[in-house]
Amino acid sequence: MQNRIRELRAQAGLSQGQLAEAMGVSRQTINAIETERYTPSLPLAISLARHFSHSVEEVFDADAS
Amino acid sequence: MQTLRDTYRRSRWFMPAFALALGVVFFVAQWIGDDPSGGLVSLAIMAAFAAVLVLLESRSGAVAILRRPARDERTRSIDLAATAFSGIVLITVVIAAVMVQLARGEDPSPYAQLGAVAGIAYLVALIGMQRRG
Repeated sequence: MQNRIRELRAQAGLSQGQLAEAMGVSRQTINAIETERYTPSLPLAISLARHFSHSVEEVFDADAS
Repeated sequence: MQTLRDTYRRSRWFMPAFALALGVVFFVAQWIGDDPSGGLVSLAIMAAFAAVLVLLESRSGAVAILRRPARDERTRSIDLAATAFSGIVLITVVIAAVMVQLARGEDPSPYAQLGAVAGIAYLVALIGMQRRG
């Protein structure tokens, strides 16, 4: 699923490891989400969106191929 | 409220310790069966596996998941899919073994019993999980 995690993380000046630590997941999981190899669960998607003060729809695009 | 971090928290030493404990159980079982040297080999294999988990975790994503399958939701999902795949392979082999035994005109036990246990376990899990939603 397309998402803006990499863009938002870069804007916030966070490394993948720092975001992973904040979310309670591994750095590899953040990398997999950013490269669209893994679609996060709803709780993690909500946590990520809240972390960047956005709605889930603003961060994740379910309609994009 | 339970956080994502709480959900996935488990000691990184659990799997190495479990592998070692299993090695000790193998050793005791084979010792009781009058094969202490075979038991030592089993214990050494399990100890080597535990060492691989500890030493190679940072170098291999697969070893990292073996060491901590429930590290987070992604590793848990991968572990679940891998477990299901190994179960399907095992069931396929058991069914094939039953067929071979029947074709030879021999008793299909214990393969048939293993297949029955697997089938019952699957049904129990299916019923329980669909009730949980």
